Amino acid sequence: MSGRAWELLAVPLRAARRAGLIWAVSIAALIVLTVAFYPSFRDSAGLDDLMAEIPEPLVDAFGLADFGTPAGFLRGNLYAVLVPLLLAVAGVLLMNGQTAVDEDSGRMEPYLAQPVTRASVFLGRVGGVLLWLLVIGVLMLAAQLISDEIFGLEIATDRIVATVVLCLLLGVLHAGVAALIAGWTGRPGVVLGIGMALAVAGYVVMALFPISDVLAPWRHVSPWDWALGGDPLTNATEVWRYLALGVPALVLIGLGAWTFGRRDVQAG
Amino acid sequence: MTIAAEPLRIQGLAKQYGSVQAVRGIDLAVSAGEVFGFVGPNGAGKSTTIRCILDLLRPSAGEIRVFGRDPRHDGAAIRERLAYVPGELRLPERVTGRQFLQSIGRLRSRFERGRLEELAERFKLDLDRNIRHLSSGNRRKVSVLSAFLSDADLLILDEPTGGLDPLMQHEFLQLVRERREAGATVFLSSHILSEVQSVADRMAVLRAGKIVAQGTVNEVRGLARQRVEIWFETDAPEWLGRLAGIGEPAVDGRRFRAVLTGSARPLIDALAGQAISSILIQEPDLEEAFLGLYEEPDE
Repeated sequence: MSGRAWELLAVPLRAARRAGLIWAVSIAALIVLTVAFYPSFRDSAGLDDLMAEIPEPLVDAFGLADFGTPAGFLRGNLYAVLVPLLLAVAGVLLMNGQTAVDEDSGRMEPYLAQPVTRASVFLGRVGGVLLWLLVIGVLMLAAQLISDEIFGLEIATDRIVATVVLCLLLGVLHAGVAALIAGWTGRPGVVLGIGMALAVAGYVVMALFPISDVLAPWRHVSPWDWALGGDPLTNATEVWRYLALGVPALVLIGLGAWTFGRRDVQAG
Repeated sequence: MTIAAEPLRIQGLAKQYGSVQAVRGIDLAVSAGEVFGFVGPNGAGKSTTIRCILDLLRPSAGEIRVFGRDPRHDGAAIRERLAYVPGELRLPERVTGRQFLQSIGRLRSRFERGRLEELAERFKLDLDRNIRHLSSGNRRKVSVLSAFLSDADLLILDEPTGGLDPLMQHEFLQLVRERREAGATVFLSSHILSEVQSVADRMAVLRAGKIVAQGTVNEVRGLARQRVEIWFETDAPEWLGRLAGIGEPAVDGRRFRAVLTGSARPLIDALAGQAISSILIQEPDLEEAFLGLYEEPDE
């Protein structure tokens, strides 16, 4: 990698360091705090009775099945909604910040005026964001594994790793969507709107469509379903799930860089 | 021996945003080693033209050649020889001026890192303050430094003195002259006529997306209108209004007012021996200076 490519990667890495660290530490803290409640939760009686009173479709929709088991506890509290949603939002916000927001504010222009291609500036930004997402994922994983150990939550490490990676890839996919819209339009509001709408819609499709017999087969159009539909905390994850999230993300990013090279740069 | 291509040639450049025609057919050529003034009021299309040269905008029509190459296809290679100070200045905020300039330096093959301290000293710029905490004038200095440190063959400066105090403007114009002496070509956009006049060899005047005057600074300057006000010791003579170059004369007791276009010589000659108590020839603002040249834009 040339010095210029490194610099184009280093600029967004530096620029996003505050936001990246806040996301990483916040999600890790959320994980530790949640797992810290596990011992008292495990020992409390009557939980299964409580769950028995909730209609089964709702239990499935909110990931509350087997809530008393370690996997059920983690799924219901963290990995059914909260953590994947946070990662999707982080992916959209971080990507938007380093691409459309910087372009629209004019702060990307000093770099675009240098002897580098538009696509290289754009891909440098994307690379910086993906590295920050990786940092978030690594910190998440560490927080989960360490707190499981401390608070006696017994669950197989490979299941945890798979779940964290799938959630992370869901975030990467949403970052990829943000990159495409940013490359295409350069408008932060549009990136944010579409990115957030997609995150919420993806969850709704996965969680609520199964309640309706008519809509149930359509749950598989949701990236959330590709990531979490196999219940990765309980079952071994099929390889296609990683590919279904990762490959489109790369394609979206490539399209974003391509389309960014073919339009006017926003005036700022 | 190869013949060096012209630093900049623009033919029939037009740029449309939706229904707005920002640039409506510009032709100009900038020769190697000259300072070319690109003058026009705000909104005339100067920045749009410049952003097309940088390949930040894609022209709707026309052709741009920078050192004989098309920015659309050879943008990165062109920008190797070109440095730019944007008009709408935005810099990354969470870095110091030094960090930003070093970062730009790492993106260029030619960058005079060794002159960083010297130029910062000349511009009285604290390199180690966060850009977020710098005034707009100091941010402008950071941007100006990035261009002058770039050791570029062509400097494209869009309203570069905005926010600089007069002392720093003087220092800036001095730097422009130094770069020209070193063989560089400078394309200087401004809405301040006197600034361009003091440093440029040739200039073009832009209005509503079209060039309304182009030539040497003296030629173009001759087309500009100046306000004249003369106070006589007795009643002002009416015949002054009939002199060559005098327009819109108004006599009000001892005061004579008019607009002067072109050479001031007929007026000065005519005034020789007259009992005059004071005389004022005022630099008008740009819009007024070239009022005679401006056709009404098609709204």
